[in-house]
Amino acid sequence: MEQEMFNQRTDLSQLSQAVEQIRLQLSKIIVGQQNTIDLLIAGLLANGHLLLEGVPGVAKTLSAKLVAKSIDATFSRIQFTPDLMPSDVLGTAVFSPKTAEFQFRQGPIFGNIILVDEINRAPAKTQSALFEAMEERQVTVDGHTYKLAEPFMVLATQNPVEQEGTYRLPEAQLDRFLFKIEIKYPTLEEEIEILTQQHQQDTQHQLEDVKPVLDVKQIMALRAVIKSLFVEPKLLAYAAQIVHETRENKSLYLGASPRASLAMINSAKAIAAMAGRDFVTPDDIVKVATPVLAHRVMLSPEKEMEGLTTADIIAQIIKKIEVPR
Amino acid sequence: MGLLAQKNPRFVIGKPTQDTIALKLDSSKTQIREFDNEAIQKYKAEKAFQYGEEDSKELGWWDRFWRSFWDWIDSLFGERQITGSKASVWPTVLKYVTIGVCIGIIVFVIFKLAGIDFKWLAGKSKAIEVPYDESLENIHEISFDDEIENTLQNGNYRLAVRLLYLQTLKHLSDKGVIDWLPNKTNLAYVKEVQKQGKGYEAFVSLTNQFEYIWYGDFSVDKATFAHIQQSFQQFNEDLR
Repeated sequence: MEQEMFNQRTDLSQLSQAVEQIRLQLSKIIVGQQNTIDLLIAGLLANGHLLLEGVPGVAKTLSAKLVAKSIDATFSRIQFTPDLMPSDVLGTAVFSPKTAEFQFRQGPIFGNIILVDEINRAPAKTQSALFEAMEERQVTVDGHTYKLAEPFMVLATQNPVEQEGTYRLPEAQLDRFLFKIEIKYPTLEEEIEILTQQHQQDTQHQLEDVKPVLDVKQIMALRAVIKSLFVEPKLLAYAAQIVHETRENKSLYLGASPRASLAMINSAKAIAAMAGRDFVTPDDIVKVATPVLAHRVMLSPEKEMEGLTTADIIAQIIKKIEVPR
Repeated sequence: MGLLAQKNPRFVIGKPTQDTIALKLDSSKTQIREFDNEAIQKYKAEKAFQYGEEDSKELGWWDRFWRSFWDWIDSLFGERQITGSKASVWPTVLKYVTIGVCIGIIVFVIFKLAGIDFKWLAGKSKAIEVPYDESLENIHEISFDDEIENTLQNGNYRLAVRLLYLQTLKHLSDKGVIDWLPNKTNLAYVKEVQKQGKGYEAFVSLTNQFEYIWYGDFSVDKATFAHIQQSFQQFNEDLR
């Protein structure tokens, strides 16, 4: 009825179709996890990097691989290990006996979709290799700057920091991830369905069934559409207020950066577009607030000892702020 | 070893040698000595022996203040000998009033720090618990009919739709369908209405209309507004 009353200003039909197709592809393998799937698609549309966190065995890597498979783009995978060097990620100059010159050999970062598996198993030195690539979408080696191809998206997976053999990611790097998506254990019903699927069909074959539904050009076009969506000024203030409050909140030792405000608005636009709207509502902002902010802020030691999480504090902050209406 | 070997120890009490003791009278001459006042004054004048209170002239203003304060407290509560019928009861009254006030202040501060509400003292319960620093609008305080009329006179249909939606939220809150709080999003209210069952689809439609106009900045003309107003009125009537 609303669609009849209000003529759409932006054509979202292509986007809706693409979203449905990706959902369908991912649902072939991933059982349940609807919120995770929505955030994965929103991240892709909002031009952000995604960090998937969960205990071993909850299909983090599989989810990331599925997103990559549903897009017809170059894909590379980097397994982060404690002895990985920055040059293993970025590339290095190799001496060519033929030309008697050093030639730059591109590392696996040169691709469209980069799966960084177990990102927090490498130390901070290696992590810093990703800083420039993730933010500026370029790599500087030996004084030369190499532009990365668009779209460029890092899909990283990690175990919770409490797990053996993991490092905490640097704050500067965490800030570069649009969302941290926490993948929880499946429910009992979902687990039964996983077992049934596995029993009936080989997962490897199912993975082969996943076909690309979008190419690079289409992704770039969809991102342009999302960028053009309307945001009421009061909602900009609402998002800014939430982020600002993280800096004032006494339970937090480190608040969110202005990059977080931008991330909130961009991802809220993607969520709105996925819902078939060409404008953002407060619900869109609330929906993305925790995945955008929870990994960018740091709890004060006292609150950490009390067993609170950053997600708890974000929820408290949202409850404190009046919804513009 | 020898003592232990004794089987039956016996205690022998000796007989007193004399029954009475004669006291001798003191015949010595007592010489009365008196304090040498001069010497006392001399010692008093010496600074080394003035270990009672410090000279107030040497104290700073802060120390002088506190000394005066404690002197005053001492004068109120210190031991005093009251004799005769003329003894006033006011110092005693003042003493207990001061103690009462002090206890009251301490209790108030403790209650405030603990965040305990005092409104129950006045017999009023808290209407709505709003955990905000400030609330821009309270839907229970808006005169919607007047506001909508004023807005329509100015031709501001967009604002009128907003008021219609807020009015509907007020009706839903009054009926106990939703628990109105300014921090809740529209989806939260939609879920609350869904729990009640009745009017869910209609409320979803009204919410969408409001969101398209208010957040989506869609223009609304007189005819569209009339249609929207009718759907809002219908919903509110069904709610009764």
